[in-house]
Parts: sequence; structure tokens; C-alpha cells
Amino acid sequence: MSSKFSFKNSLYLIALSIIVGAISAILLYGTLKLEEKIEAKMVEMSTSDVFYIVQNSAKAIASLLDQNENFITQIQQNPRLQEAIEEHLSVLLTANIKYAYLLYRDIRGTFRFLADASPPAEKALLNQKLDVTNPEWNALYEEKIPLTIRHDFLKELSISYLVPILQHNTEVALVLAIDFSIEKVQNINTIISFMKVALLVTMAIIVLFFFILIVQTVRYIIAKKTAYIDKLTDVYNRNYLQELQEFINLNDYALAVLDIDHFKKVNDTYGHHVGDAILKEVAAIILVNTRKKDDIVIRYGGEEFVILSKIKRNDQAAPLNIFERIFTSIQSHAFSISPTETIQVTVSMGVNLTPSQSRGFSDAFKLADIALYHAKHKGRNTIEIYEENKKSHKHSQLSIGEINAAIEEGRVVCYFQQIVHAPSGKVSHYEALLRIIDTNGAIITPSKILPAIKGTFVLRNITKRVLEICHRTLCEHPALHLNVNLNPQDITNDSILALLTQYAKEDNIAQRIGLEIIESEDIIHLPSAKENLLLLKNLGYTLFIDDFGTGYSNFVYLTQIQTDFIKIDGDIIKTIVKDKVSLAVVKSIVNFAKEANINVVAEYVSNEEIYEVVVSLGIEYAQGHYFSIPKSSPA
Amino acid sequence: MNRLLLLLMLASLSLAENYTFLVNKYDKEMELEAEILSKIATASSKEPITLYIPDISPTEAKVYGRFFTLTPECRHATFVFINKATATAEASCDPSEKLFFTNNYRRLLADEKFFGAFFWAKSRPNIVFLQHRLLQHDITLPKTYSRYIEELNVQ
Repeated sequence: MSSKFSFKNSLYLIALSIIVGAISAILLYGTLKLEEKIEAKMVEMSTSDVFYIVQNSAKAIASLLDQNENFITQIQQNPRLQEAIEEHLSVLLTANIKYAYLLYRDIRGTFRFLADASPPAEKALLNQKLDVTNPEWNALYEEKIPLTIRHDFLKELSISYLVPILQHNTEVALVLAIDFSIEKVQNINTIISFMKVALLVTMAIIVLFFFILIVQTVRYIIAKKTAYIDKLTDVYNRNYLQELQEFINLNDYALAVLDIDHFKKVNDTYGHHVGDAILKEVAAIILVNTRKKDDIVIRYGGEEFVILSKIKRNDQAAPLNIFERIFTSIQSHAFSISPTETIQVTVSMGVNLTPSQSRGFSDAFKLADIALYHAKHKGRNTIEIYEENKKSHKHSQLSIGEINAAIEEGRVVCYFQQIVHAPSGKVSHYEALLRIIDTNGAIITPSKILPAIKGTFVLRNITKRVLEICHRTLCEHPALHLNVNLNPQDITNDSILALLTQYAKEDNIAQRIGLEIIESEDIIHLPSAKENLLLLKNLGYTLFIDDFGTGYSNFVYLTQIQTDFIKIDGDIIKTIVKDKVSLAVVKSIVNFAKEANINVVAEYVSNEEIYEVVVSLGIEYAQGHYFSIPKSSPA
Repeated sequence: MNRLLLLLMLASLSLAENYTFLVNKYDKEMELEAEILSKIATASSKEPITLYIPDISPTEAKVYGRFFTLTPECRHATFVFINKATATAEASCDPSEKLFFTNNYRRLLADEKFFGAFFWAKSRPNIVFLQHRLLQHDITLPKTYSRYIEELNVQ
């Protein structure tokens, strides 16, 4: 199903999970970093006052000591001094400060106790060593400023705070140390853990909410999509059209309204179940013939469908061809009404090729509906293209709608121009030239017909019409040889080939038809074109390469397709008398043709002077106003 | 129903730590002590170590058993570790034939039969060997232990 809302749910959910996962990971990383910062800040906040007190205590201890004597010896030799210091230290002990003690570093670098405020059971002895593993203890002697040491591997301690006591304000003599119990940090961590859990829960709720929101959005879109799909035909329904028309860019689309002909009769005759089956099949045919990404198919109601076909810059004719393909596909489809029976169903289509000229979708739709009305009025089973001002193109090119109308109304005709065999002076062939009689009776030439329908199915229809006229003319005139012009796309079109194959089965028809093909890039590069030309030649048709000498003049290709005639381009022949280059070009073509055993026709032989030059060059066939102007009948 | 079961399961898991009384709690601190003591004993004696701990608890037996050959009788031991304040070695334990180690610094200083101690000072692990007792027991420790060897009168 072509859809503006179509998506692969599983793929979207995987992408969604990845996005949610990534957001969660980022949030978690941010939370961990935040936790670290909060912890550091809280430790700093809760210990900064204590640190000041310890520093003051160190100053007080230093004031007890004589600066002129060794601090260590003073304490070691004076138990009263040691007791006084321990009294200072004991003031520092709290529920969180587990130990407060005074150390010195001996000559071996071992730290030893001088005073300890711990209770007797834990109290260190004088000069008892303390094994320290952290190198920062020694760094204190270098930096001479207080420092903090975190204990990540000790079971009972979290932080130590060391304050150096300087002697003579130069050398570190003593170290006042306090150890914070683990409870301090545990309390902080409890708060942080609570904050972290709260944050993570909040994040989880946000993520969950976000996830639910997206899932609900996806479910809403799916539900909305279901509301837009017609259950019977699996194409969009009218609800979608109402939604779509608000934002559709009419510049991008051509619009067609399709109605199944005599659908009520089908329902009445075969029952609604058959009617439903036909509706489903018609919808399926429409979907098969439209582009999934570019076109939008809507069941407008009952047996009416709306098709919006995207107009592409590089293929402006695509929408019209799609509409025609849908039309012919339905026309040629056998619709089952029972296991053994089928019926043919036709449709009428109204096309608006320029919805952008309307003020809105509703107006554009009305014009397509008007065209549909005309199609029904003309007897159904047809495509009607809406034209704004049908009579405003009198002196310019015809529109597709006008040409289509001309085909349907039988106003496509052929004029015939003689091709003369120069040596005998007798008419050897006629070239059938396309003409349209407009609604005022004026004759319209191909230059005003072909540009509008180039690349569309209308061109093919007009070729078929010309072939039918030629066939009828040949039947009426058994001795007549007729040339008909084919476009490159006609050569590769199955319906044209089928028609030519059908004519070839009749006696003495293909042998009297010359197919004039303009040598072009399309013809040369399409392998099927070359194959089809050889097939037509084998069926008895005579091949003419038209307008040779301009554009693609591929001599090798001529031999490959085994053409019977080449028609030298009229623009060269026109100037053959005065222009030496043109004369030289014609001479080389003629020489090549003689070598390759190909007949040459000179076009645009408009006077005796040109004719004499043509004859002097050995060109056997000539065509132009010198002999006759195109006439409505070859007789 | 499924949601209720899921909630109950999650609640149970979140409280799992409360149910550890169902198994013997393994003492990581004791394991660290045992490991350190094992290194000290191995460094102190060239003989195979058979450890005796007076009043040894089942947990201690389990933990120390991972590092030592244990004996329930002092007379069969080559290394005696007294780690309880009230515990004493049996009279039959001849200090001259065995190495005595303690976990108490004061006891180390007070009792001549101990050549060293491993103890916790200010919640930090500390090791002390007394130089003259090492000499008495003819113990030569590797150089890595020299920082733990103490003279009694140090400055």
C-alpha cells in the first residue's frame, strides 16, 4: 500500500529503543558525575569548619613548645607536656572524628606517635610506629601545608586530615592528624544515595513517560492509518482525502477521477458480492499501475476512485500515461463473477492535468469531475481530459484534451503526398500525413499536434488511428503504396506492433505499407527497437529512414536494420542548389546508399531547379510541392 | 497475578542482604590477617609451618585453614599465633621450639616469647618485629621486612 504514513513498526521501535537507551546512558553518566561532585562538595562543606579547628589546635600545640629546642625531644622527655597536648587533641574527638594524634618522622622515615587522644585501650605508646602506606604523608614534609587523604581501602576510616607543625617556620617537625570515621562519609553517601535514587526514579519516570508517549503516538498513527484505509479495497478512503487536501501541494500532482461504468447494473445482475469483488480487483489494478511512492489512490465512494499521480520534472507525461495504463488494464481485464464466468468492465475517467491552476483541491477535483461527466456523457469507456478554454488555442498548439477529443470524434485524418519515381515520372508511393480538423473545420498540421502529446499515450492512439486510416485507404485502392510515419516509441509499443502484425496477415497490405521512422537516439540505443524493425521488415513492411542527414546519421545502423529507403532531410534538399556543403552531403549519402543497395528519396523538392540537381545526382525518388501538395485523397 | 508475583520477587531481591544469616558470613578482614600472617610465618621460618591458635573459632579455622596447616594442639605446632586477649599458650608449649606471634603491640613488648606482632593501630594494619628477639630466635627476615623491624629504644 502506498502511504504517506507507512513505516516499518519494528524498525522504528528498534531505533526508538536505541534512542531511549542512549538518552538513559547519558543521563546515568551525568548522574554519576553529579553524584561525585555533590559528594565532594558535601565532604568539603561538612569538614571545612573542622579543618579550621584542627589548624587552630596545631597552632595551640606549637605554642606549648619552645621554638629553640627540638619539638620531638621536648615531648618525649616531658610527660606533662605530652598530657597537655593530648588534652588539646581530645577536644577534637567527636562522633565523626575517631582519632586525633601527634606524630613525628624519625631518621628512618618511620612515623611514630608522640601523643594520642584515644582511650587507653586504643592509645598508642610513645614512639610507637605507625605504618602508613600513602606517599602523601611524606609529601606533607615537602609542601608544608595541610592536606586531606581519602581512604578507599580502610574499613573504618574515610578521611585523614594532616596539619604540619613547623619549627622555626621552616621545617616540619610534627604532624597533627585526625581520622574521620567511615560514618561521616556513610552519612553523606546515604544522603547522596537517596538523592541518586530520587534522581534515577525521576529519570526512569521521564524515560518511561517518553517511551509511553512515543508508543502511544505510534499507536495513534497506526489507528489513524487504519481509519484512512478502505477495508474492502485496501486503498485510502474519503477520510484520508479530507485530511490530505489540507496540505497537498497541487503543483506536484495530476488528478484523475475514475468511475466504473454501469456498476449498478453489475450489482443488480450479479449481486453485491460480485460488485465488491470487482471493486477490489479494480483497486488492485489501479495500485499495480501506479507508483507506490509517488501516487495516491483513494476510494472516493461507491464505485468512484480518485488518483493523484505525481508530476516529475524529467517525466511530465508520466501521470497521463499512468491513467491510460489503468484505463486499458481494466479494459482488458477479465473480471470473475463465478469460478467459470468472467465479464468485461470498463471505466470512465475525468482527468485534470493542471490542478495547480485551481484555488484548492476541491476546485481541482470539481474540474476532474466535470471531465468525468463529459466522459460519461460521451457514452462512457473513455478518458476525458479537462481543458479550461477549449477555444483559446486556435492559432497555437493543440492541447492533449483537444487532440484526445479529435481522436474520439473522428477528426483525425490523413493527407497524402506523392512520392515520384524520377526516371519514369510516375507516382510510386504516397506518404500519409497526419492532420486534425479542428472544431471550426480548419486543418491542423503535425507541428501543432505532436509537441503536446509527445511521450503520452495519446501519441500512440493517434498513430493507431493513422494506421487504421492507411489500412482502410489501402483496402479501397488495391494498387496504392502508402508510407506512414512512426515515432520511436511506436516501434516498441506492443499495441502498435500487434496492429501491424494483424495487418501483415492480410493479403497484400504490409507489402504496400512503408514505415517511415526518424532515426533518433532512442531508436539506436533501444535493442528492442532494432529487433522490432527487423520483425516488421520480415512481415513485409518496407522500411524508410526519415529525415536522414540531420541529427543521428548512423550509416552502420542503416545496414544493421536493413532499411530499404532513406529519405534525405528536406532542409538539406532545399539548399542543395545554392549550398555546396548541402550538395556534398547529399552526394555522400547517395554514394553510400548505392553501395549499400538502399533507395534514396529526396524530400522538399519544391521546384524544377532542385529536381534537376536531384536527378543529376542519381536520386531515383523525389517528393515535394513540385509534384503535388498533400491532398485529402490519394486518388 | 503475574504482576503481583513480579513485584514480590523484586521486593525479595531488594531485601536479599537481610537473609545472609542463613549462611556463614565470611570475614574478609580475617582473611587479610591470615594472608599477612602466612607471609610473615613463611618469611620467618624455613620449616614447614603448622599453626596453632588457642581457642580457635570455627570461622578462624575455616579462614586460616586456607593458608596454613592447623593443629589443635600446641605441641604439634611450629608457629603459634595468640590473637585473643584472654588466650594463653599451654604450658607444654615450649617457646624455644616454636615461633610465637601476637596481634597485640603491648603484649609483644611485655612477653619475651613473641618475636613480632600484627595489629591494627588507628584502624591501619601494622607489623612490628623486635630486633633482639629475632636474634634470639635466629630469625632472618627478607629485606622487604626491614622497615617493620624495631629497636626498643628508638629516636
